[in-house]
Amino acid sequence: MRKIIQECVKGIIKENPTFVLALGLCPTLAVSISMVNGLGMGIAATFVLVFSNIIISMIKNFVPDKIRIPCFIVVIATFVTITELLMKAYSPALNRALGIYVPLIVVNCIVLGRAEAFASKNNVWYSLFDGIGMGIGFTLALLLISGIRELFGSGTLFGLTVVKGFEPAFVIGMPSGALLVIGLLLGLFNVIKGRKQ
Amino acid sequence: MTVAAFLTIFISAIFINNVILSRFLGLCSFIAISKQTKPALAMSLAVMFVTTMSSIITWLIYRFLLIPLNMTYLRTISFILVIAAFVQLVEMVIKKFAPALYRFFGIYLPLITVNCAVLGVAVLNSDMFFNQGKVLPGSFFYSAFQGICVGLGYTLAMLLMSAIRERLELCDVPKALKDFPLGFIIAAIMSLSFMGFNGFKF
Amino acid sequence: METKFLVSGSPHMHTRESSSRIMWMVVLSLVPAGISGIWIFGKPALWTIIMAIASALFAEAGIQFLTKKKISILDGSAFLTGLLLAYNLGPGVPFWIPIIGSFAAIAIGKMVFGGLGQNIFNPALVGRVFLMASWPKYMTTFIQPFNYDTVTSATPLALLKEGKAIEHINYLNLFMGNHSGCIGEVSILALLLGAAFLLLRGYISWHIPVSFIAATGALTYLFAGKSPFSGDWIFHILSGGLILGAFFMATDYVTSPLTRKGHIIFGIGCGLLTAVIRIWGGYPEGVSYAILMMNAAAPLIDRFTKNRVYGAK
Repeated sequence: MRKIIQECVKGIIKENPTFVLALGLCPTLAVSISMVNGLGMGIAATFVLVFSNIIISMIKNFVPDKIRIPCFIVVIATFVTITELLMKAYSPALNRALGIYVPLIVVNCIVLGRAEAFASKNNVWYSLFDGIGMGIGFTLALLLISGIRELFGSGTLFGLTVVKGFEPAFVIGMPSGALLVIGLLLGLFNVIKGRKQ
Repeated sequence: MTVAAFLTIFISAIFINNVILSRFLGLCSFIAISKQTKPALAMSLAVMFVTTMSSIITWLIYRFLLIPLNMTYLRTISFILVIAAFVQLVEMVIKKFAPALYRFFGIYLPLITVNCAVLGVAVLNSDMFFNQGKVLPGSFFYSAFQGICVGLGYTLAMLLMSAIRERLELCDVPKALKDFPLGFIIAAIMSLSFMGFNGFKF
Repeated sequence: METKFLVSGSPHMHTRESSSRIMWMVVLSLVPAGISGIWIFGKPALWTIIMAIASALFAEAGIQFLTKKKISILDGSAFLTGLLLAYNLGPGVPFWIPIIGSFAAIAIGKMVFGGLGQNIFNPALVGRVFLMASWPKYMTTFIQPFNYDTVTSATPLALLKEGKAIEHINYLNLFMGNHSGCIGEVSILALLLGAAFLLLRGYISWHIPVSFIAATGALTYLFAGKSPFSGDWIFHILSGGLILGAFFMATDYVTSPLTRKGHIIFGIGCGLLTAVIRIWGGYPEGVSYAILMMNAAAPLIDRFTKNRVYGAK
């Protein structure tokens, strides 16, 4: 039981997919303009991650090694399509906001990375919790980055105006601002890691 | 099909909406492989080849398979399968006919499958050049050309970045910022300077 | 006796001048432009310049203090960055614009790369495009010349971009700086005085400025007019930040290529990009973006134009 909890928690801090493993960066930067979008993407990606981890760890013994990557991708793509359809039906506004980055969850390095590195080598329970942990870690990272960007870029958090009379820096909401924020955050985390040692 | 349209695609894909610096597709490989010029150039050429060919193949599948059978929701799965199969094919061909090149590419070749830029441009094509299942005029050629141009844009960003990082290797960069963080900051500044192309009109 | 060995990448240039002295000489050459700017636009210009320089010095000293490095604000480079940033701003900007801009210029444009000599991009321009992308409204509001009541007015290039009439702006006005624009870019006369000083003393060579200006002139002559070969290239050379950029920012040693051939390529690239943005792009002025893009390309240019080392392949 303890091991399961450990597998889950590691994805949140120690092996955070965004800040430590540097995976899944493309959607992170594109989607983290507002916390609502960040949360939406985080949940969608977690859904895909958890279910594909489960299925892949169930079929891992039946998949020939040479074609395992395409097989994993089929599984992942299936769940991404399900997610896409669910989103189109139940929250079309979010679907429009996330744009092409919803189908791009298929090539999100986190999903394939965990499938390859973990789900294909561990049993269903561990894979399930690994997926949950990584998904939470990814979502938290998205929330942190989009929180900073939304605050400095438009003075709001989750759409609610937090700071009044403050001229927001538009650049933060743009691609360059995103790259800058994550570069500085990564540097900051490196400094913290360095101090701990 | 006008020259202006092709020119717009060219300028847009390479400079204004540069696949890496404006659309953030292909970032993982961009930050990871752009440390030296030779691998960066090799990767870029391979990516360009794959984006072009997969633009063509996915267009054909979308037009002649998915639309007539009313299965456009299978776009994601079918596109990524096409790309994965194609990359596998390219890998086998290179291994057979140019084994030295195959060894040189190493792991970069299969990594192209999950390069967001490749799937991204395929999805982009089907969004831009089709209108609710109807084929817009010139769609095929625009799509193929956009595939080439996205590859060129990727190459441009990679070449610039790898030359910069090679030079920074000789410098005394703050330890906390080494590699990834500085890579992002450089990309941020490059992205800012490319903003000069905003609002382009011919 | 403590011996320190300093190992650094080539090229090594041994001159009587230290890099610090060169910085201060460049600052000196920019003084005429600053005085003109203050004379033309009044006290707001003076405050902007002071804020920008002060912020740059504080930023560098602060970051160096926090990272336990030697504080080097006396070497003139932070001062120069602040000064150049101020020259690139409109005189009427709110006081926090130059403060934030200088901070961004020093922190992101210089310190993250490890300090002096290692930056890839011109720090003042990094600060400027950062400001431009963040607060475009403030960055594109300019005031009338010689009207110390800060009445707003559009720059010649902005008028051109909007297709409005520019007949009332003659070449003499452009040359003397009698029009709205950024503090340090308007008085071509003052800038050329400073540039002549730098050229005569050998601090900069003519290759970059001449190829830069020539390329912009050529392209605008070809395409900027209503029909080919009818562009008003004199207008283009005298307006915007072209002279300031070509002589004082594109020539920065650290961010431009190493060889003469590289300089010419660099200058032509800057000139072409500037003209392209001015003629077809959405912004009225493209000098800052052009120089930054070529800064990014400078290492690549170096790679292909480096002199052959005997004995190597």
